Amino acid sequence: MDAFEAIKVTFFQECDELLADLEAKLMLLEQGQTDLETINAVFRAVHSVKGGAGAFGLEALVRFAHVFETLMDELRSGRKPCDTITIKTLLRASDVLADHIQAAQGLIPQVDEGRSAALVAELEMLTHGGEAPPAVEDEDDDFGFMPMAFDMALDEPVAAPEPELEAVGWRIVFKPMGRMYANANETGLLLRELGRLGPTTVVLDDSETPTLDALSVEDGCLTWTVDLDAAVDEAALLEVFDFVESDCELAITPLGGASNMNAPFEDEPAAVLPASDDLDIAALLAKASGAVADPVPETIPFAAIEPEPAPAVATPAPTPVAAAPVAASASVAPAPVTIRVDLDRVDRLINVVGELVIQQAMLSQRVLESGLARSSGIALGLEDLELLTREIQDSVMAIRAQPVKSVFQRMPRLVREVADMVSKQVRLVTVGEDTEVDKTVVERLAEPITHMLRNAIDHGLETPDERIAAGKSAEGTVRLAALHRSGRIVIEISDDGRGINRERVKKIAIDKGLIAADAPLTDEQIDNLIFAPGFSTAAVVSDISGRGVGMDVVKRSIQALGGRISISSVPGKGSTFTLSLPLTLAVLDGMVVAAAEQTLIAPLPTIVESLTPQAADLHFVGGVDPVIRFRDRFLPLIDVALIMGFREQPMNPTDGVAVVVETEGGQQAALLFDAIQGQRQVVIKSLETNYQQVEGVAAATILGDGRVALILDVDVIVTDMRRKSIRPDFKLAS
Amino acid sequence: MPAAASLHCLVVDDQMTMRSLVRTSLQQLGVREIREAADGEIALRDIISKPAHLIISDYNMPNLDGLGLLRAVRAHPPTSKTAFIMLTGRADRELVQRAVQFGVNNYLVKPFTVAQLKGKLEAVFGPLT
Repeated sequence: MDAFEAIKVTFFQECDELLADLEAKLMLLEQGQTDLETINAVFRAVHSVKGGAGAFGLEALVRFAHVFETLMDELRSGRKPCDTITIKTLLRASDVLADHIQAAQGLIPQVDEGRSAALVAELEMLTHGGEAPPAVEDEDDDFGFMPMAFDMALDEPVAAPEPELEAVGWRIVFKPMGRMYANANETGLLLRELGRLGPTTVVLDDSETPTLDALSVEDGCLTWTVDLDAAVDEAALLEVFDFVESDCELAITPLGGASNMNAPFEDEPAAVLPASDDLDIAALLAKASGAVADPVPETIPFAAIEPEPAPAVATPAPTPVAAAPVAASASVAPAPVTIRVDLDRVDRLINVVGELVIQQAMLSQRVLESGLARSSGIALGLEDLELLTREIQDSVMAIRAQPVKSVFQRMPRLVREVADMVSKQVRLVTVGEDTEVDKTVVERLAEPITHMLRNAIDHGLETPDERIAAGKSAEGTVRLAALHRSGRIVIEISDDGRGINRERVKKIAIDKGLIAADAPLTDEQIDNLIFAPGFSTAAVVSDISGRGVGMDVVKRSIQALGGRISISSVPGKGSTFTLSLPLTLAVLDGMVVAAAEQTLIAPLPTIVESLTPQAADLHFVGGVDPVIRFRDRFLPLIDVALIMGFREQPMNPTDGVAVVVETEGGQQAALLFDAIQGQRQVVIKSLETNYQQVEGVAAATILGDGRVALILDVDVIVTDMRRKSIRPDFKLAS
Repeated sequence: MPAAASLHCLVVDDQMTMRSLVRTSLQQLGVREIREAADGEIALRDIISKPAHLIISDYNMPNLDGLGLLRAVRAHPPTSKTAFIMLTGRADRELVQRAVQFGVNNYLVKPFTVAQLKGKLEAVFGPLT
């Protein structure tokens, strides 16, 4: 990849950030924060997209961004009001801008031209207030990016050369003022530029130079008279002086023609500045130079490019500023420094660290088996190594951690589009955008969240009429929140809509044969029926939340991430979906247990307590289902080895260990194992990619001795497998 | 005749894309000492703590824009003689005029070619080697 292509990649990455920023700022505008700073930020984002797109010749993108930018320019100058209609248009324009960027990247085949053109028309309408857009050449002027098309001289009232005047040459009388030198301009270069236009004769008048004792080095006292023997356009001459014309006295006279004097520029630059320009330079400098309050110019040996005698970049290079305390000034706030790293490199690092963790565990085990004393140097060293390994692992994981913002920021657009489609008024509230989670998890969150938001708007919220009839505001609210809870990330999607119609859900479930007609279900169980495979409440599968995908698919995609989903609903008040996901898909704190001949891992976050079953605490419901007393309650006791098929006959509970676990839904149960072997952090290896999905098993890991151990999916075991395993002919071996 | 290799340059733009483009172009012209700053304020801190021969700065940036940076650089004696080229998004006459009033040495319209950048550098420093 050449440098240009690499920068293009950077550009598109930056575009994502700019779009996110754009969206966030537009949301602020929508919420009524229409201050100049916010409008300016929106302008800047669009402007930056356009600037970069121009550099890469992405013309469609440039064209759209330009129209967008032009309206923003009108808004920030206050020429056009930033009203609700405008903001709505801006929001839709940002969506189309995102499409254009995607199209430029080749991520989507093409932009919806009709939509884009309609938006362009809308933006132009707002920009020009219904008047016809300005003439084409004006557009070109802005657009052509033709550096040469720009001509400072155009603005000067007397700059236009008299067309009938046929000058055969020019006399340029040029007297630099001190400030021209101060701005790092040089007479020599200007003379050289003039020399390019044709043969010149230069006369230097140094008569104004004072004697040495009166000489001030900062003043200009030389006057140059240049006779140019070429019939060039006066504009070409003025171009030479573009950047110095206000810093010098300049008189240009055609030779052999009438006088065409340019009055010397006497006015002080500051005088023509807008009054609003109230930048406090002194304060700025004081702030920037930090502790170095007293001016120490002499201590900074900046070898400026000296104008005389010959233009030369100062060599040697600027002397190191060792003597100046400036660089070391402590009060200079360090800017946050970031680097961009290829994700592959991070993943490679994570893999290696995973192997390191396993190796370290194996080594510890070997040392343990070798019979070395725990106090031996090797054992102690290994303990330190373990701490370090863990620290490395945490640090590496932190590299991959990303705020969920990137996903959340895509949602306002979705909500707008879905709300438009179903003619509902929706306000999206997002909370906890900065909550961090592993990059893989972030990426895979987008789809389920999208689906559930669609669902909330399509099914959850009522129409404005229905809402008003129910005594609610016409506008419904959907809340998307992220938070950390006990080592997991929790995503909540709630609406203030009608809530789940339990009667209807139950009826559909019965009709579809999902439950028995007389099944005694709690409200919570009814609510959770919507996750059942084959369940879809929409009478007609709508285009919005239907798409042939039910909540069961959402549930499965969440489970594939090691997550859980649950719902709570209050009729008339709304529903809340709660997703809970691991922070990372790479490591897990687990309890190592033995079941039959197998070694298994129970995820530590699910474990409440472990206990040794006593015969007195054991009971059998209906003579078959074993339960165990745990703090004045009875919990189902699940023989894991039995339901996993590791053995044919159940073990005697008093011979084993019971581990009390809690599911995401808050359901508790006791898992029966042969023994607990220890507790350790394990590196998760996908069983699906290496073998196949096994019910009740979330993933696998490699133990210290090199064996593979299965990581239990506690929720599935407690809620689903237990029921299936209980066969009618099941009898306890007593 | 100034050698491009000895030129110390500070590139200021809030967009990494633009900084990279300017940097790459400068490198093609033989400039080796290139620093970057993401806005005017960072650039000002940078230039005050370590001098440079040339600042190539975007105009529209958060915190402190290009004009503000130019004014501050010109107002601070140790940095006042730093050459300053303003990057503009389009031929914005009003902006360039204001920049000229504050003592900008040249301007460069985005998008630019390496040849255009070279032209601007030579207009400021004379022919580069």
